[in-house]
Amino acid sequence: MNSSQPSAGSACPYSGKPLADLSLTDPLIQAYPTSFYQTLRSEEPVHFDAKLGMWLVSRYEDIVTLLRDPDTYSDKHGYEAQYASGYFEEFKEILEREGGGFFSDAIKSDPPYHTRIRKLLEKAFTAHRVKALEPGITKIVADLADKFAEKAANGNVVDGVKEFAIPLTIAVICEQMGIDQYNGEKISRWSVAITAQIGRMQNRESMIANAKEICDLQNFIIAQMKDREQSPREDMISDLVHASTEDGEKLTFAEAVSLIRALIIAGNDTTATAIGNLLFILATKPELAQELYDNVEDSRYMNRFVEELLRYAPPVRGLAKMTTCETELGGQKLPKGAHMLVLYASGNADETRFECPQQFDTGRGNLGSHVAFGVGIHRCIGASLARMEINVAAKELIKRVKNIKLAIPMDELKYQPTVATHTIESLPMLLERRV
Amino acid sequence: MSEIKIIFIETDGTEKIVENAKLGATMMDVARANGIDGILGDCGGGCACATCHVYVDPAWQAVVGNPDEIEEMTLDMAGEVQANSRLSCQLVLNSEMDGIKVTVAPLV
Repeated sequence: MNSSQPSAGSACPYSGKPLADLSLTDPLIQAYPTSFYQTLRSEEPVHFDAKLGMWLVSRYEDIVTLLRDPDTYSDKHGYEAQYASGYFEEFKEILEREGGGFFSDAIKSDPPYHTRIRKLLEKAFTAHRVKALEPGITKIVADLADKFAEKAANGNVVDGVKEFAIPLTIAVICEQMGIDQYNGEKISRWSVAITAQIGRMQNRESMIANAKEICDLQNFIIAQMKDREQSPREDMISDLVHASTEDGEKLTFAEAVSLIRALIIAGNDTTATAIGNLLFILATKPELAQELYDNVEDSRYMNRFVEELLRYAPPVRGLAKMTTCETELGGQKLPKGAHMLVLYASGNADETRFECPQQFDTGRGNLGSHVAFGVGIHRCIGASLARMEINVAAKELIKRVKNIKLAIPMDELKYQPTVATHTIESLPMLLERRV
Repeated sequence: MSEIKIIFIETDGTEKIVENAKLGATMMDVARANGIDGILGDCGGGCACATCHVYVDPAWQAVVGNPDEIEEMTLDMAGEVQANSRLSCQLVLNSEMDGIKVTVAPLV
């Protein structure tokens, strides 16, 4: 059994049912998807999920083929068809009325436009730039880990997601963006509201609530931008407000809002999800927690540990693309306009690619070929920052705590209802402080 | 001299010679601009993805030097790593590299 995705026992929604009766819109499949993915890969690797209205791409090879062909599989059209699905016009009106405007995501686009936007951002996220941030981030994480360990040391149940993973990533991104005064709970709500737009599980009521949160976020961003326009500082919001492309063109106001929004949110929810997964694994695999502690000063081991964590439990489950012409993928004919969901998590569990995929093995020869960050032109731009945050979180925490356990039975864990990520919502745990 | 020559050997053995590689550019940029198979450079030169991995011809190793710690860590994930492995995004072209020969590493 894969302990990161425990089977739901007798409630298992897919045992014995034909694929045609199953859908990724089922919250139980979303929470425990391992067998579903395996069935997809072995029976119908490019499968039309009728309830979702999308083609699920589950095999490693097909995922890479698709992601390496952005002309045939449009990111822009796939994303737009997914965004606020079912309520888009009303959503857009709310943002225009109360949120300063509707700003489409500049980075969720196709070449050649995408190439121009992406180039602007790349320099800020190189592994070398990120390395320079490590001491500052270590300090933030160490403070948070101290508080977390101290609360737990008094015998209290602590929430690994709400009291460690989420505040950690929010503190880091605010430092990056130069936001000194912030309300962590608000940023967390904004993140959920944005991610929900590609999660496909919104009803009208939650769409309206989420749209209001996004208005609040956009008004906050616009105020921050105005501040940096007048007095530029050494931070990423200033960089974007004053950025110009190689040909000297400036970003438009709408582009800048959308990019700042993307940077605040994209790296936040996903990295918090990864750190939540880290804590879950430490709580359920004590031998691995011990191995991590024994190797905590070995930077090669730590890097491999983080990479295997990302392969084993990738935060992003599925993102959308759309075919721009008739094509064929994995033996399946696809019409023009086919809405695709790329199942990164299934690719990482593909047994033809990764031997014993359910085993957490930092010694894998092909560790770096996982698709948790995507592949091709849309590969995660914040990968180095995410890796470093997870690395520092693992290190600072394991140095302080031991005997990490779940405080509730595994099958009572709640996962966010969404097709886009595989995210533990709340992780009650018990742990002891190392003396 | 503002341009140098680079000899790329693709994974299937095809030799491609670029005569006008600009000094100061990275080898990865030159490879992408000239359609060298197997040099993808997904992360745009950020030393984050290892999709621009090459083997430097032993005769040229002293000229390019060794990877730094960050590049070594990224290479460690790449697979098929050899003593002469480098990420071509980290190789900034200088005049001493005129005529350098590299082999594109297979993507794992």
